Amino acid sequence: MHPEIITVAGLSKTYGSVVALDDVGFSIRRGEILGLIGPNGAGKTTLFECLAGVQPADGGTVAFGEGVETARRGDVLFYLPDGIAPWPNQPVEWALRFFLNFFGGRRDLVDDIIDRLDIAPLMRRRIGALSQGQRKRALLAMGLLAPQPVLLIDEPFEGLDLRQSREIVKTLRRYASLGRTLFLSIHQIIDAGRVCDRFVLLSGGRARGEGTADELAALAGSRPGAAAPADFEEVFLALT
Amino acid sequence: MIFLIGPLVGVSFIGAVRTYAEASGLGGTSIGVGEAFSPLDGIWVPLFVAYEIAATFLLPFVAIRLVAGDRQSGALKLELQHPMSPLSRVGAKVFVLFGGWCLAGIPALLAGILWKTYGGSVYAPELAGVVLVHLLNAGLTIALAVAVASIAENPSTAAILMLSFTVGAWILGFLASLRGGLWEQIARFTPEAMLDKFQHGLIQLGMAFVALVFIALGLGVASLWTRLGVPARRRAFESFGLIAAAAALIAACTFVHGSWDVSENRRNSFPRADQEALAHIQGPLRIEVHLAPEDPRRSDLEHRALSKLRRVMPSVEVRYVSATSIGLFEQANPGYGEIRYDLGGKKTMNRLTTEEAVLETIYGLAGVTPPQEAEPAFAGHPLMAAPRGAALIFFGLWPALVAGFGFLIPRRKT
Repeated sequence: MHPEIITVAGLSKTYGSVVALDDVGFSIRRGEILGLIGPNGAGKTTLFECLAGVQPADGGTVAFGEGVETARRGDVLFYLPDGIAPWPNQPVEWALRFFLNFFGGRRDLVDDIIDRLDIAPLMRRRIGALSQGQRKRALLAMGLLAPQPVLLIDEPFEGLDLRQSREIVKTLRRYASLGRTLFLSIHQIIDAGRVCDRFVLLSGGRARGEGTADELAALAGSRPGAAAPADFEEVFLALT
Repeated sequence: MIFLIGPLVGVSFIGAVRTYAEASGLGGTSIGVGEAFSPLDGIWVPLFVAYEIAATFLLPFVAIRLVAGDRQSGALKLELQHPMSPLSRVGAKVFVLFGGWCLAGIPALLAGILWKTYGGSVYAPELAGVVLVHLLNAGLTIALAVAVASIAENPSTAAILMLSFTVGAWILGFLASLRGGLWEQIARFTPEAMLDKFQHGLIQLGMAFVALVFIALGLGVASLWTRLGVPARRRAFESFGLIAAAAALIAACTFVHGSWDVSENRRNSFPRADQEALAHIQGPLRIEVHLAPEDPRRSDLEHRALSKLRRVMPSVEVRYVSATSIGLFEQANPGYGEIRYDLGGKKTMNRLTTEEAVLETIYGLAGVTPPQEAEPAFAGHPLMAAPRGAALIFFGLWPALVAGFGFLIPRRKT
């Protein structure tokens, strides 16, 4: 089995005169947690939407490994957008049941996911009435129940407090260890550093680096005249 | 919508029954007055006005909310990741909407049952014609609303577009009645005009097909625009292709002439003996009518004679000639008001707009003896009955039932 489950090459996207993505290339390895980090406006959401097929890319290729056609990308990945409140008039319980029935999700994981994400108290509440953090946890539950092997999550920690973020990190690591591949878009470097195995640095629509924290630190330190970065934040600032 | 349809139907039904009773008490059943006591005009058409109102002002917004609401909430981005085809997805939503509309038809069914209990007459074919027109109207409304909701960025824009279509259709109908000519030809394809004849007991196969083509077009456009990752330019191009194909189908449908008069009093047809005699008349018949669109004689001639003539002699050509819409200044022209007939080269002219006069003129040109047998006049079904129990059912029981279901179902789910 090929280690790269998704390979992106030369991905580009423009909105009129605005270049959102410019010749972006990287790969996602089976079973890893890959972090897409970059500042606001870097093109993270656009990249996710082009990968998921929500938006058409203007150039480049996305290969889904082992001969899976682009039209069948839905068999490989599931994209969980940020900032949505699907079926706002329905309770969380209904939404999870609908999701399982519609997508054929992982019923065996339901109780574990509800427990780990602490959404049992939210089950009878309408999705539209939840706070941002509560809604994020409900959506994460849906994403983790999806049957696809690769899960793209846009801003998994948005709206969560420190304690909740740490619990989410544990949950994501657990499901990665069970064979799930996660690609997370995160704009907070510290959160990314806690959960991700490797990183893709995106800034101004361009990929500035790809690798583990150590590999990126070495890349940052190898620049002429550059001092060795003290932490991952400095690595990020140096490369972007 | 389901909550409101009960009181709407109640107002229409109770008013219709009372008016019918007053008219029945005044006129009796003498010959020539029978048409006044047809339940089609007196009960069913007024009753279903409630559904026309609902289809114009409630149903579109329910449809828009169901479709555009998913885009606004973000549910669409999740749902479209399922391999279900966009057409299936749109079809599922339309199925639910149509099911809801059928559920909203229960008050009409209750009204029919009440009418029967009062002793009222029910002629099933003409009632079926009215029901069919409102089902087609609902289909057209849903298809247009779903298409607009799929294209528009948000529900508010879709609602504005939908209202624009509705008002635009009204304006087109108004222009058609004033100006005639090309406006009239275009206005034939507004939902109101398309389905008008159905409400008077005439099922036109061609128009039914046209309505179905429009419905399919709406669903097709909605499917094209409910896809992920397809550039807007390509969607627009494909939509234009679909519209062109629909236009070709609609043009073909105008050559479909099959029609059925399902009214109990055969108001859309000549007497049977005359229909048989006219069917045997050979040769192209051309009729040139010099009356303006707003002249009431023109609509009298059209409804009393020419529309019936087209059904029995599909090859008849009718040409309306007028320089103005109201004929006010044309009336000084000695040719104004003439109706000129040409049957295979034989010509005549008169100014008579009644059914009998038109038939006599055609028989005269064809050299055919008019049939002597006369059909018995339609006696009608007068009924002096009060709308007992209707107010309780439509203003009390129905809203309570709907509110009760609306309250209980969410609690049962949890």
